[in-house]
Amino acid sequence: MNKALLTLSIMILSGSLLAQESPITPRAERIQISEGPEVPLVGGYLTVIRWTVNNPGGLPVHYGVVHYGTDPKNLSQTAKNPIRLNPYHSSTVFRVNLYNLAPKTTFYYTVKSMDSRGKSDGVTSLMKTFTTQ
Amino acid sequence: MREKRLIAVMIVCAGVAAALLFSTRPISAQNHEHEKGEPPFPLYNPYPPGILPANLESEIARVLREIDVIEERAIQRWHSLPLPTRLATRPGPNPPVLKDTGTESIETLGELMLFDKNISPGRNQACTSCHMPYAAWSGPIPSVNLTIIAYPGTVHFRAGKRTAQRHTYAPFFPVLQYNQEQGLFFGGNFWDSRATGYRLRDPDAEQAQGPPVDTQEMGFPDTACVAFRLSQAVYKPLFEVLWGKNSLDIKFPQNTEEICETPGGAAVFGGDPEPIKLTPEERTEANTVYDHWGASIDAYEQSTQVSTFTSKFDAMLKGNYTFTPDEQAGYNLFNGKGNCNSCHVDGRGTTLKPGQTDTSTTATANPPVFTCFGSANEGLPLNPRDAFYYQTTPDSFGFIGNPFGFGYRDLGMGTFLRSGFGSGPNPNRTWIQFAPMVDGQFQVATTRNVAMTPPQCPTTEAGTGKPYFQKEFFHNGYIKSLKQLVHFYNTRDTSFAKNVTSGHCPEGTIERVTCWPMKEVPNNLDTTTGMLGLTDTEENQIVAFLETLSDGFTSPYPNSDTFTGACMTCNPATDPNCSPSRQGNGELIPTPPLPPCASAICGVAPVPSPPIP
Repeated sequence: MNKALLTLSIMILSGSLLAQESPITPRAERIQISEGPEVPLVGGYLTVIRWTVNNPGGLPVHYGVVHYGTDPKNLSQTAKNPIRLNPYHSSTVFRVNLYNLAPKTTFYYTVKSMDSRGKSDGVTSLMKTFTTQ
Repeated sequence: MREKRLIAVMIVCAGVAAALLFSTRPISAQNHEHEKGEPPFPLYNPYPPGILPANLESEIARVLREIDVIEERAIQRWHSLPLPTRLATRPGPNPPVLKDTGTESIETLGELMLFDKNISPGRNQACTSCHMPYAAWSGPIPSVNLTIIAYPGTVHFRAGKRTAQRHTYAPFFPVLQYNQEQGLFFGGNFWDSRATGYRLRDPDAEQAQGPPVDTQEMGFPDTACVAFRLSQAVYKPLFEVLWGKNSLDIKFPQNTEEICETPGGAAVFGGDPEPIKLTPEERTEANTVYDHWGASIDAYEQSTQVSTFTSKFDAMLKGNYTFTPDEQAGYNLFNGKGNCNSCHVDGRGTTLKPGQTDTSTTATANPPVFTCFGSANEGLPLNPRDAFYYQTTPDSFGFIGNPFGFGYRDLGMGTFLRSGFGSGPNPNRTWIQFAPMVDGQFQVATTRNVAMTPPQCPTTEAGTGKPYFQKEFFHNGYIKSLKQLVHFYNTRDTSFAKNVTSGHCPEGTIERVTCWPMKEVPNNLDTTTGMLGLTDTEENQIVAFLETLSDGFTSPYPNSDTFTGACMTCNPATDPNCSPSRQGNGELIPTPPLPPCASAICGVAPVPSPPIP
């Protein structure tokens, strides 16, 4: 543990070349969605979809990705937001923002995540729904 | 050339005079006096009433006086410095190899340069006009920080578009690189990372080369003007000690002074970036001097005069300071629920769980600098007080700072990768393709010294019972206090997010408290923060921790004693905005209806995806 932390500190702090190596987050043995997805905010302007993954690990920046639409057989819309993994946290809370959705409409969605190179984290949620106000 | 210029100046002056007569602007021409009695340039005031702070002229003059004090101190230090020992191992025109006091000499040279107001056409603007030590080398004028956020340059009142970044720890940023493995950019200087370091391999040195020829800042029309003015500097002998005895012996044409006293962007130059006509050999020498300018300033900024590692946090690392309960709680939140150290990495361990022991190790090379050296889009609203939006008409030199007005959108690094309007040339063609994935991104600044203020104004926060120093936060200065900063990270993507622009929050809400206007650039919004679930107390504890990152705790911060302006005070009993949460809300103005993003910004390939309205 000490050695790992020392290595991490050196990686972060010791000069320009190593500074480009952002802290690496440990990857969980079996990656899974541990909470959610849920919709903590359904607004006329902003709708937020949130879920927690026990760390996908790897590259420092990942993307939460939401496929959504009004037809469960055709999730034609995609939204994604980047998040920087915290190397010291044992899980990552992904959030994706959707803007200006049609009111009083039911949307279907699935979520997944990937790293900044586009490599999937290997977990996708079941389809869920929410209805705008 | 002179005749044409005079005629043009007379015509535009007449227009400006007429405009002044028929306006009620708070800045009067009578107040605009150069320190020698005459303003160096005709006033440029395209601003509607109430945009410029009323005390702008006197505050600029105040900062110039403070600059003179520090420059004099630097001169004294130079004179008391033993000459470095020159080794006879490198003859010829190369810079000499120096031992003993070589380091102190180059650092002192950098300091003398930073505080030299002759490095501007009007001899009225130093680098430090926008970066004074008592504000952690960021904006020194509270009223500017409160209002127009960008600092006026050599031509009053041309101004840039972003806040003045802190110099402290800027030299620690690496050369801008696209990390192939991670698919991310790291490094560079400036908010948009355009000082890449690709040529000098030193982003901070290349950053120092920017403002002297930035049309809205120090404003030289030609980089050779730097060499020209350095050849006249009182500290020329020190430059020659460092960089070679004849290093400033350049045969400048007779009209050089005339050219260098004319601000960049003047129509008279016809767009020529090198109006000083030098021979190729002399141009090379002038370029070399310009590189040495950057290297010398970088030496000073990296020195223990600027990047000092003397904060409470540093003392805590060494076991010489114990955090207060609030500071410790804030530190735990910074690393834990607040998620701050995902980007502002502290290089140590993490929030401890019950029964755990902190086994993390103090950094070996340097203490942590609290940045990941990356960039992120934090989703700031467009700030309609930014002076840049109003510079849509020509000044007396025929220069227009922002022909797009409110059609301008600040895409940050995205515009830089496109070599776009208001940024710099992207030196790496393979990076252009990545522009859409970095639109809206700005450098992750170090949190060190985010709270630094002059000693007599001990806080950045209004309404605490202490006099405060108004600062500005993020690239566009929309945030006015640390409390607001943490609250923004905490609640940006909650029900407080509104589909309005600044100044139009719905009735029953309070901007910056229960209303966050829409993001200027929604693309690539970073969601590491934005819905943190922090309580009000927890927000305050993070602020308390941020305040432990100010240098000057274990030893006095150099030149922090030079602030001669007035601290701000307010009375919460009579002023509803006298609190850290509502600080600056009295200066909010309604954003005008926004035209679409100008095609010269949002229509440049590869275009933003999705399109930016």
